[in-house]
This record gives sequence, C-alpha cells and structure tokens, in this order.
Amino acid sequence: MKECIFETENLVYSYSTKQAKPSLDNVSVEIHKGVRTAILGANGAGKSTLFYHFNGIFKPVSGTVKYMGKPLEYTREALTELRNDISVVVQNPDEQIFSATVEEDIAFGPMNMGMERDEIERRIQESLFKVGMEEYRERPTIQLSYGQRKRVALAGALAISPKVLILDEPTAGLDPQMSQEVIELVEQLCEAGTTVIISTHDVDLAYAWAEEIHVLIHGDLVYSGEPEPFFDDHEKVAMTGLVMPHTFSVNSSVQRICGREVAPYPRTNSQILCKMLPEGSRIGKIRLVPVEDSLPDVPAEGLPTGIYGAITRRLFRAAGREPDYHFNAIEYCLMDAVGGKDSVLFCDAPMKDRVLEVIGRMEAFGKKVEVVM
Amino acid sequence: MTVIQTDNIVYYYEGASKPSMDGVSITIKKGVKTVILGSNGAGKSTLFYHFNGVVKPKSGTVKVMGKPVSYRKKDLRELRSKVAVVLQNPDDQIFGQTVEGDVGYGPRNMKLPEEEVKERVDEALFQTGLGEFREKNTMQLSYGQRKRLALAGALAMKPEVLIMDEPTAGLDPQMALELMELAEQLHHNGTTIVISTHDVDLAYAWADEIHVLKRGKLIYSGTSEGFYRDSAAVHSTGVMQPSMFVMNENLARMRESDPAPYPRTESQLISKMASGPKGGLEIVLVDGELGDSVHAALKGGRKTGVFGTVVRRLVSDSEKKADYMFNGFEACAGECLMGRDSVLLCDRDCLDLVKAKIEDLKAFGTDISYNVNG
Ligand SMILES: Nc1ncnc2c1ncn2[C@@H]1O[C@H](COP(=O)(O)OP(=O)(O)OP(=O)(O)O)[C@@H](O)[C@H]1O
Ligand SMILES: Nc1ncnc2c1ncn2[C@@H]1O[C@H](COP(=O)(O)OP(=O)(O)OP(=O)(O)O)[C@@H](O)[C@H]1O
Ligand SMILES: [Mg+2]
Ligand SMILES: [Mg+2]
Repeated sequence: MKECIFETENLVYSYSTKQAKPSLDNVSVEIHKGVRTAILGANGAGKSTLFYHFNGIFKPVSGTVKYMGKPLEYTREALTELRNDISVVVQNPDEQIFSATVEEDIAFGPMNMGMERDEIERRIQESLFKVGMEEYRERPTIQLSYGQRKRVALAGALAISPKVLILDEPTAGLDPQMSQEVIELVEQLCEAGTTVIISTHDVDLAYAWAEEIHVLIHGDLVYSGEPEPFFDDHEKVAMTGLVMPHTFSVNSSVQRICGREVAPYPRTNSQILCKMLPEGSRIGKIRLVPVEDSLPDVPAEGLPTGIYGAITRRLFRAAGREPDYHFNAIEYCLMDAVGGKDSVLFCDAPMKDRVLEVIGRMEAFGKKVEVVM
Repeated sequence: MTVIQTDNIVYYYEGASKPSMDGVSITIKKGVKTVILGSNGAGKSTLFYHFNGVVKPKSGTVKVMGKPVSYRKKDLRELRSKVAVVLQNPDDQIFGQTVEGDVGYGPRNMKLPEEEVKERVDEALFQTGLGEFREKNTMQLSYGQRKRLALAGALAMKPEVLIMDEPTAGLDPQMALELMELAEQLHHNGTTIVISTHDVDLAYAWADEIHVLKRGKLIYSGTSEGFYRDSAAVHSTGVMQPSMFVMNENLARMRESDPAPYPRTESQLISKMASGPKGGLEIVLVDGELGDSVHAALKGGRKTGVFGTVVRRLVSDSEKKADYMFNGFEACAGECLMGRDSVLLCDRDCLDLVKAKIEDLKAFGTDISYNVNG
C-alpha cells in the first residue's frame, strides 16, 4: 500500500455562499508520498483552490484534509509548523513576492523558521543558483521580468527545503531552458525524498513526468491513477478541457495505421522511435559518468556529451566546458542511441539510479540500451 | 507591406545601468505570422511596449503603418485602437469590476455607439469562452479565466494589429488551441498577429517568421528551421528546439534520409512515419446557421470536427456536439490517416485556410481526397 501524504475526504469549498456550484465539490483525493503527482483540469476546475487547502490557507466548508494521516488543525502554531514542511509556489509570482529585493524575498522563509545567519546565507546562494538568478541577488523585485519573478518565487520555496513541494503552473512563463531546469530540479528533489505535486496545463510535460494524475472538472474529481487509461478515453479528455499528449497521440496513430498494438505506451520521443526501429538495428551505447564534487577526467573521444543535474552543470560551467546537450540530456542521449550513435552522459552521482531507470525503460519498447560506467 | 518597424531603438528602465532594448531594428510585416522568442528578461515585453507607445525609446524610432509614433495623448489613444497589446500578466490589464464592463471599456473609450459596444462585447466573450461569466466580478476569476478576459478586452477593439505577450501560458490546452485557431482566422481575415511565447512547439507550428531576442538585442530574423538547425545559437538564447523538430531530425537520421520536408503538425509527422489506406474528408461550409447537412453530419456515423469561431459557437449551442470541438482540422486529418472518413464543419471564410492545410500535407505523402459541401 502506498502511503498517503495528503488525503481529503468529501472536501467542499465555496468562495461565497452565492456560488451555484462549489469550487471543490466533495473531493476525496489521495496524494501518495514520494509519487510524482500532477493535477490536471481546465481553467477554473479548482486546482489552485485545492492547493490552498494543502497548506491550510483555506479551510474546507465541509469535509477534511489530512496531512500524514492527521487532520489539519487551523491554529496559528499548527499552521506555522505545517508550512515548515510544505511549500506552495503559487501561479502568479506577484501574489508571492512581497519583499523589496530578491535576496530579502528568499531569506523570508528561512528567517521565519529561525535559522542561523550563516545557514540563511547558504540557502540564499544555493536557491539563487538553482534558478539561475545569482546576478540578480540585490535587484529590486519590481525591476524583474515576469519569468524572472517566477524564478524568484520558486527560489523562495526551495530555500526552506520543504518535505512537500507544491507547484502551481511552475513552467508557465519560464523560458524553455529554465523549464527544463525546473523539471530536472524537481526530479532531483523527488530522488532525495521530497514529494512534489504539480498542476500544469502542459499535458506533454505531465505525461512525461507524472506517475499519477488527478483530474478535476468544475470542482469534481473525475480521475485518479496512471495517465494512460485517462488519455485513452477520448471523450473524457475532451470533456475536461484537456488534449492528448503528443507522444500519446502520435504513438496511437502510427501503431493503428501499421495495424499493431498501441501498447506499450511511450512517453518520450526516443521511446516512440525505439518502437519503430527495424530488427537488427545497431543501438548506440551510453557512457554514464557519475559526478561527485569534481569533474572526472573522461576523454569524450569526439562523442556527443550531455549533462544532467545541478552539480554537474555548475562544474561544467566553472570549467568552461560546453556540452552538446545542456538540457533534457537523457532524452537526447537516448535519441542518439536509437540512431545508432554512442554518447557520454555526465550526471550528478545521486541521480545515477534514476538515470539508469530511465535508460532501462527502453527495453520495454523493444531495444536494450547498453550503459558503460 | 510593413506594419511596424523599429529603427535602432534603445531603452533603459529607470535607474537601470544596462539597456533593456539595445539597438533593435525589427520589421513586422503584414500577412506574416510572427513570433518573438527569447529567454526570460530578453526584452520581449519591453519591445511590445514600444509597439503601442507605452514606452518611448531613448533613441531610435518606432513607425506604425509607416508613420513615426506620436506620443501625444490623443494620438496614443488612436494608436492603441489600431495596435492592441494583450499583456503577459492579466492583472496588469483588468480594471473593470465586472467581466462585461471590463471588455466594454475599450470600445466605449473609442466612443462607439452603445449597440456596437454590446455586439463587440458579446462576440469577444464568446470567442474566449467567457459567456457564462459576463456578470461575474473580475476579482473572482481563476488565473486562466483572467487571461481569457484580458484577451477578450483586446479582441473587442478589433485592432489592425493584435500583439499577444505569452497568450497561452496559463490557458488550459483546449483554450490554447482555440486561441491559436482564432489567431489563424483573424490573421486570414487581415489582422496582423504578433505573439511572444516560451512554447516553442506552438511557435513552430504557427509561425511563418520568428525573431529572436537576446539581452535586448535582435539576433535572428527568419524561418524557424533556419534558427533551430544551429543548435549552439539556440542554446545561447535560452530556447530549446521544438520537440517536433528534434523528432524529425532523429527520424531522418535513423532512416538515413533527408530531414526535409520539415513537419510542423502532428498529421504531417505521422504521414512521414507510417502510411496506410486513407479516409476521405467532407468539408461542410457554415455561414450564419447550421443547415441540414450539418445536422445530418452531427448525427451520422463519421467523426466530426469544427474549424472556425462561428461554427464553434453554433455547434456548442446545438443539442448534438461535434466529436472534435477544437483543433478540428488536425483531428480530421488524423482520422483520414487512419483510413476513416470524417466531416469538417468549417466557417466559410476558413475554406481557403483548410485547403492550404490539405495542400501542405501533400509534401508529406498524404493526399486527402475531399469534397466541399455548401
Ligand atoms: N477569489 C475568488 N472568489 C470567487 N470565486 C473564485 C475565486 N477564485 C477562484 N474562484 C472560482 O473558483 C473556481 C476554481 O478556481 P481555481 O483558481 O481553483 O481554478 P484553477 O483550476 O486553478 O484554474 P486555472 O487553470 O485557471 O488556474 C473557478 O470557477 C473560479 O472562478
Ligand atoms: N520595471 C523595470 N525596471 C527595471 N528593469 C526592468 C523592468 N522591467 C523589466 N526590466 C528588465 O528589462 C529586461 C527585459 O525585460 P522584459 O520584461 O522585456 O523581458 P521578457 O523578454 O519579456 O522576459 P519574460 O520572458 O520573463 O517575460 C530584463 O532584464 C528585466 O530585468
Ligand atoms: Mg489555478
Ligand atoms: Mg515578458
């Protein structure tokens, strides 16, 4: 049995008594600990409203919210304690950023938790690094572009090292590389034991990333479980304001045209291509180089090089080395492998198992990709 | 024809030591679907503020329809009825108390007769799917609903140039598709549309021409492929290659074939990946009302899709809905690729657009046989 981190029971919430239908209408949802979870639904479905219940900003009109098996208490002390565990990054950064400068804004959470000055300093530096905003540390927050403010809001949440990180539309407004970095960061947090819950309108992202999805429509929870059965139900998808992920529909169409089974379901382009490979094709190898605190001296031998993880990224930058694949590197290396080309992938040592797992998944699509350590 | 042209504009925000616009000369052409790309802080929004005169360049000039922008209050008001900018953050744009009040604000400011104001409000609310919210307080909307509202306000101005800053961020996927279809239809009917977006997949599917900004400088103007082929340049600008582009490159490599022609839509990509017997397409044209052939199609055994804002309004009000209420062309093309017949219910003014899409698919080996009804 999977352990629940959050559990709501018949949760009802209305913003006003005049509301014809509550914004959350008898929602009973189980969010599992350590499971990569995405909440999906049309505009106005109730995603943000649900999130505000997880950190106790909203109190249900009726029904209960449990965190780690215990019903939330709404006293000030209990809520302060709860918010040391749980960070919600809201959708609109302007609702989250109150301080005059970037560093003050990030220091706010750690200061509230009563951390030592040195520790606060360390956390400011680390979270600014993670969101690529080091050079903006002293900037007034009103002088930032929209995406820069999103990054600062995220950094503020990271600074308290929460046990549960809840991200409401984290990639909307971020440039594509930063979006990739955020996803990578999230992977890293998951690997380190943080439970991450995301709401997103990017179904491609949700499909590639999530183990479990929960779908809301007009305040009703209409689906909980693995993504595939949901996306396979065209009518349901249409009803909920969503669309099929590209990989899902490309695979379905191609397999049907060829008169083959649609399953197994690829979630990435490399997996789709892998399914299409003719028998006997050569598969490239991936040389995996785990990185601890310095860059191992591995000759690249003219092979394409990818990097994965914040430490690796930092070390490459410090050494002035330019990899071929800066972002989404596992996928690029797998594409190479499918195309018969070898590649080298440097990854943060703690991410090694995760990387091996992703590479290992190719076998389900017909080809084993060999990893050389 | 040139719609907007800047010549070497430079702009500093107050107190800033570095320029946010650093000598940008850009030309926005009529009839060219234009996308501006660039990382966070590259200067996209700042550039847009120059297009409707919200900010005045420190040096350099901005010309709209051939005339230098005049910053007198009266002239600016006129400029903004021609060039509407939908801001990135809806909260910067929404002032009205109620939804309909907010949408009517611009047209009333233009001193249009009240009847016309009402008509425009109705249309804009429909186009953005906000009809049922018209009396709602603007503070009581979800984020995506506020994004839709900001867009409705701009649509009600019926501008000649519609500039949208990150229009799909925060919209649910169906609304995002509807918006892009609306943009296509408006563009087809003569409105010039300029979009900034971080969604490179969307940009790739939509744009005829892209402009890429980097730290306040314009570093690329041209076709999408011309830019994405240079992966070092792509990397240096905070952008990523679109998933479709990467997929196609790898497919070509796997097959040792030429990557061209470059697919930009799912049906084009699928055509390249697999081929079988094709289904046929019936295009049923719709003007002001749903005729017998539409009702028959909605009842009958074939899958149906809609294309165009008018037909969508009509079908969503009718008892029987279509199978694909959004992205209708792609959905029907998908049916056809899988060997099944389908029906596309299509606004008359979109027929040429649909024919062009069918024509585009030929290069990928799919020749859809279709007939036009009505
Ligand atoms: N402050 C408010 N007062 C009244 N109603 C509200 C308020 N905020 C949200 N609502 C309503 O509650 C419902 C759920 O809103 P919520 O913000 O949770 O949606 P969401 O799923 O997060 O949507 P989006 O994708 O647009 O962010 C919507 O119908 C919305 O109109
Ligand atoms: N009000 C302001 N005062 C000072 N500097 C500003 C202000 N607004 C923006 N800037 C700076 O100007 C530069 C360009 O900002 P702009 O908002 O045009 O970027 P953008 O390309 O729209 O970014 P995003 O993708 O995040 O929306 C950024 O470096 C930003 O920090
Ligand atoms: Mg929301
Ligand atoms: Mg911007």
